[in-house]
Amino acid sequence: MTQVAREHTEPTEMSDAEALWYSGSWIDRIPQPIAILTLGALMLGTWWLVVQIGYVSRILLPGPAETWDELMDITGNILTGGHVGEALWITTQETILGFLSAAVLGIFLGVVVGETRIGQKAVMPYLVAFNALPKVAFAPVFVAWFGFGINSKIVMALFIAFFPVIVSTAAGLWAVDTDTLMLFKSMEAGRWQTLRKLKLPSALPYIFAGLKAAAVFAVVGAVVGEYLGGGKGMGELIRLASQTLRIDRVFAMIFYLGVLGLLLFGAVALAEKKLLFWQKSDTFDIQGGV
Amino acid sequence: MAQQIESVGRSGQQSRPVGDVDEVVKITNLSKTFHRRGLTALEGVDLTLRHGTFTSVIGPSGCGKSTLLKIMAGLIPRSSGEILLNGMPVTGPRQDIGIMFQQPTLLPWRTSLDNVLLPIEVKSGSAAAREQSDKAMQLLELVGLKGFEEVRPFELSGGMAQRVAICRMLVTGPSILLLDEPFGALDELTREYMNFELQRICLERDATTFMVTHAIPEAVFMADQVVVMSARPGRIVMIVDVDLPRPRSLDVMTTPEFATLVRSVRRSLDMGDLGADE
Ligand SMILES: Nc1ncnc2c1ncn2[C@@H]1O[C@H](COP(=O)(O)OP(=O)(O)OP(=O)(O)O)[C@@H](O)[C@H]1O
Ligand SMILES: [Mg+2]
Repeated sequence: MTQVAREHTEPTEMSDAEALWYSGSWIDRIPQPIAILTLGALMLGTWWLVVQIGYVSRILLPGPAETWDELMDITGNILTGGHVGEALWITTQETILGFLSAAVLGIFLGVVVGETRIGQKAVMPYLVAFNALPKVAFAPVFVAWFGFGINSKIVMALFIAFFPVIVSTAAGLWAVDTDTLMLFKSMEAGRWQTLRKLKLPSALPYIFAGLKAAAVFAVVGAVVGEYLGGGKGMGELIRLASQTLRIDRVFAMIFYLGVLGLLLFGAVALAEKKLLFWQKSDTFDIQGGV
Repeated sequence: MAQQIESVGRSGQQSRPVGDVDEVVKITNLSKTFHRRGLTALEGVDLTLRHGTFTSVIGPSGCGKSTLLKIMAGLIPRSSGEILLNGMPVTGPRQDIGIMFQQPTLLPWRTSLDNVLLPIEVKSGSAAAREQSDKAMQLLELVGLKGFEEVRPFELSGGMAQRVAICRMLVTGPSILLLDEPFGALDELTREYMNFELQRICLERDATTFMVTHAIPEAVFMADQVVVMSARPGRIVMIVDVDLPRPRSLDVMTTPEFATLVRSVRRSLDMGDLGADE
């Protein structure tokens, strides 16, 4: 047999998709960390410049330096278990409990919707309609029902986060390959067997896409719940800080909310990578907003 | 013209003995209409598969080959007519039928071995599957996949994946094999090799095989009878008997007899096309 040697001169370790983008120009040769740091520095510089020019008042927009100082104060407070640390812990609990219940309830409802005719015909249209509602508008209702404590925030986080999980779980179940379904039918597999051995595993990429969206939404839900329903979490502190025009403080606390969201998202992405060993995934694909 | 073609098909049928115990699958006057689209996919299909024989099916795209195969497998219902499997009407899927599609349809999260064992696991549970793993290993060895038992599908080539699918089809020891263009996605060389393997397996097991294909030489090379179908509505135009001795080597393709058979299959395919246009 003849071995046809077709050597490519482009750098190896590239996926086909990356290879399509690759043009060999200078921007493709910059290592990604350097690109990220450069852009970050540019944005900080712009921020600093805008404040320096004095076009906006320093009270409304503190500069990077003040914000950094405040961030250090807040970090100290969190590390020594001060009131910000306590607030962050409360918000973390709300977020995680909200996310976990959204995951469980979302996957369960997703299976119900995806597997039953009633679900597909009757439940799904309602879910689509509900999903179109501005869900944060329900926050006062949940406060009225569940009080000013942690519970109303968990419910708010759950409520915002579980729609994407339901929809993506159902979509994943519907996306199963027809021939493989035929194969299962030819093996006389029951409904439960088909679900467990075929549909759920092949829906996992979809389910994880939903869970990654839910991880981000859960933080939103918890904080919105706190803005409107008080309590002792970060949302309440942010609200107080902005009332006293301590915008630097607001920025510093939002930074920690960002860390919380990123950690939860990263945990889900890591679980996905471990569980979906059989396929490549874009771990950090960006999910849309609320 | 269409009348004449149909009579050719019918006379092909009648030259065989009727009501033989040898008749593993007997299809009489089978029709299938997809009501939602008001489309007649199959009309008046008569076909007999005799024990231990290989039947190739060829015809233009959309003429109902896959539909016929799925009805035989009990996967979709027929609209009218009769279909007997070992003398019993087909009412649903059955364990003595092995089936294979154009795509390997392996489960990507399972190893080759676990994919092969899937039908046993579905039928009798994981414990039973574990007990049969020696048998599955032997099957994998038989198709030249020794050492690939613990490999997952994404690490297999297309041909290797289809060989795993063959093992999965064979593991329950079915007596009837239904294959829907099983090697259509493979390159020419691999396909020849796989056809060769399939012939060996079918002879060895004395299996009754029904294979859909798009390639005329492949259809003739594999078959004892080549069923030629036409489209709109899908019907059998001709059954060409192939009496070449077995086991066949690739050399058979260069013989004049082979060329004659290929020519007559092609001619009936063309006739079918004309018939559909009328
Ligand atoms: N589930 C279905 N519902 C409606 N129409 C269908 C369905 N399945 C197949 N058909 C139609 O029936 C006809 C025969 O389809 P079939 O898949 O059996 O063709 P085929 O001979 O296998 O074609 P190909 O060689 O392209 O695989 C086609 O016109 C197709 O559109
Ligand atoms: Mg087909």
